Amino acid sequence: MTTTERIRHAIAEAVATSLPELQAVEFDAALTGDIGLDSVQIMDLVMEIEDRLDISIPVDILAEASTLNQLAIQIEALVKDDA
Amino acid sequence: MSLFDKFRPLAEARASLGDHDIPPIATPIDDISSAAEGVIGGLPVILAGTNNYLGLTLDSEVVAAAREALEHFGTGTTGSRMANGSYRAHQALEREIAEAFGWPSAIVFSTGYQANLASISTLAGRDEPLLLDSDSHASIYDGARLGYAETVIFRHNDPDNLDRRLARLGERAKNALIVVEGLYSMLGDQPPLAEFVEIKQRHGAWLLLDEAHSFGAFGRQGLGLAEQLDLLDGVDFIVGTFSKSLGSIGGFCVSPHPELELMRLAARPYIFTASPSPAVIAGTRVALRKLVDGQPLRQQLWQNIHRLYAALNRLGYRLGSDQPGPVVAIILPDRATALAHWRGLLDVGVYANLMIPPATPKGMNLLRISLSAAHTSAHLDHIIESFEHLRLAA
Repeated sequence: MTTTERIRHAIAEAVATSLPELQAVEFDAALTGDIGLDSVQIMDLVMEIEDRLDISIPVDILAEASTLNQLAIQIEALVKDDA
Repeated sequence: MSLFDKFRPLAEARASLGDHDIPPIATPIDDISSAAEGVIGGLPVILAGTNNYLGLTLDSEVVAAAREALEHFGTGTTGSRMANGSYRAHQALEREIAEAFGWPSAIVFSTGYQANLASISTLAGRDEPLLLDSDSHASIYDGARLGYAETVIFRHNDPDNLDRRLARLGERAKNALIVVEGLYSMLGDQPPLAEFVEIKQRHGAWLLLDEAHSFGAFGRQGLGLAEQLDLLDGVDFIVGTFSKSLGSIGGFCVSPHPELELMRLAARPYIFTASPSPAVIAGTRVALRKLVDGQPLRQQLWQNIHRLYAALNRLGYRLGSDQPGPVVAIILPDRATALAHWRGLLDVGVYANLMIPPATPKGMNLLRISLSAAHTSAHLDHIIESFEHLRLAA
């Protein structure tokens, strides 16, 4: 599994765990606008992703990511920086 | 297109609470009769949602000291602590706070919000690691943003989760600031402080404990949860507020590190705001003496706490914490039920707080009671009877 696949897989699993009410994981949907998440729900989602990837995600990354796709890109950059 | 469009979701959330004359958010209080009673909507109510844990707001000596300072020094200092706003009384209060903890340094701020904003933004500077409990108060999150720290959130009250995040930092953990609260204001729960202290010490990190809601209620001298658990030696900074147990407005940061004094030179929320008014400082100094010597007040407060916890458990309510404390959060299944409970209590003369998302963790709808030493046995009788009637009606 490539790093990109591993990150997207972890995000999908985290969404399923922390937001079970969502029918499908849409990587292009806006987290606040389309999906309607509030700041607390986004924080819960990020903590789930952190646990699955065993990384720490600084909260300022969230300001750069309004969709799951953008979040995946930010996390990939973070993982590469750490490597 | 309007600048105000972005507020539409908030307006919709407010509209969902109905358009009753007495709104559950920012409820207008007509009058205050005592620390525990007031008037809302023209009717007398028991104030059971005012964070006035020791009931000192109308203490005659506190009020007299504030009045005397008001008449002597006037209504305000009209300046920053760095300019003309440092009176001898401001410095005396800082000394008295530091002495209560047995530590060398304390700084007073104009509000509790600014105490966190200043302390966190200054201690955790640009790109320095800052670890926050996920249920932290907004002032803590805002402090993180103001300081441009590298902020990572750990799961609420989860020492292992914090431990893993510190381990990932490696050597940088020695420069990391951890922030936890002594009593969380939404659910009324307490942190596993001994475990957090052990983790902090093992990684060589720094710990800031926000005792906003626990100051006055916990510990023999009322200094908070760290005093109660005999863990003051494990804490680097304690932030507190004057606007709960001390009954006024303002805040402080106190530390065993004398270098805390340097924060005065760098903390923007300290430098660029007017200092607390002389009346506030004078009242707070007397209230602090009463808090430190306030064992009978705490005894009354805890008697009230244990009584209400026992009654709500007996009635089968789901509570935010199984550790009794002055904040009693009742978790209700949805917003409509929470609103019905809030209004049901108000109708029979009990004012509590309605707390709804996004202010609450995990989308919870809460009814929050804050207890006070000023609540009498008759007040508790009435509050408990009101919940019994609500339970029967449900």
